[in-house]
Amino acid sequence: MQRPAGVSSRRLARSGIFLSERCMQTKLNRSYDSLEEMYELTERFFLNEDVDLSIRFPVHFVMEELFTNMVKYQPDNSNDILLAVKTLDGSVSVSLTDFDVDDFDVTVDRNVNTEAPLDERTPGGLGLHLIHKMVDSINYDYADRQSTVTFTKGTN
Amino acid sequence: MFQIDFGNDGEIVCTGRLDAAQCEKAQAFMDGVGDTQTLDFSALEYISSAGLGVLLKTQKRLVGSGGGLKIINVNNHIHDVFRYSGFHAIFDIETPGG
Repeated sequence: MQRPAGVSSRRLARSGIFLSERCMQTKLNRSYDSLEEMYELTERFFLNEDVDLSIRFPVHFVMEELFTNMVKYQPDNSNDILLAVKTLDGSVSVSLTDFDVDDFDVTVDRNVNTEAPLDERTPGGLGLHLIHKMVDSINYDYADRQSTVTFTKGTN
Repeated sequence: MFQIDFGNDGEIVCTGRLDAAQCEKAQAFMDGVGDTQTLDFSALEYISSAGLGVLLKTQKRLVGSGGGLKIINVNNHIHDVFRYSGFHAIFDIETPGG
């Protein structure tokens, strides 16, 4: 994908999306229907920034798990979720901010038993466990009923 | 975009991205199959934990009746997700290289 000629920073036609050479930011509706939009926006940004494929898959995975978790466990909240993505020297940093929510630290590993036999397995709970396998770092901040999860991923 | 349908040889072909928004569609299809089934993931680009839940629920039902799922042509990224999830021990999984 070609970077817009002569334009280092611009605001896309869709309201609320900010895109520059090394960062993008957008607000997403609190709905699973936003997953496709989130994927397309970030994938376009990653292609523009030449982010390695080996990073893109786990970043999409973790980003979607965190977003899905916010949607699933705050169903009565009507606020949009703020997504911010940055690149630096081949690494990616992603932040997801949720507004007017209770304190829930998604970065605590739930220690799912991934060696359990089939009959002891139940669907659900894997996502927050898997994200720890895929990121280099992950941090959670909570203040004034606002939670932000930030994770980084680079080529190891 | 996610698609799921039977292929020419009776295998179940998944295409695109199986994320949380597509799981209802995938589960509805998988609820209609029985016995032993082969899932061809050669055109599946992505799977989320919600997609893993669809596979797990289907596998439990099929194994309970003497069948099961075989998943073939799994790309490296999805294979990593399976490995982190311990799915290699509860599914018959084949990567393109065997």
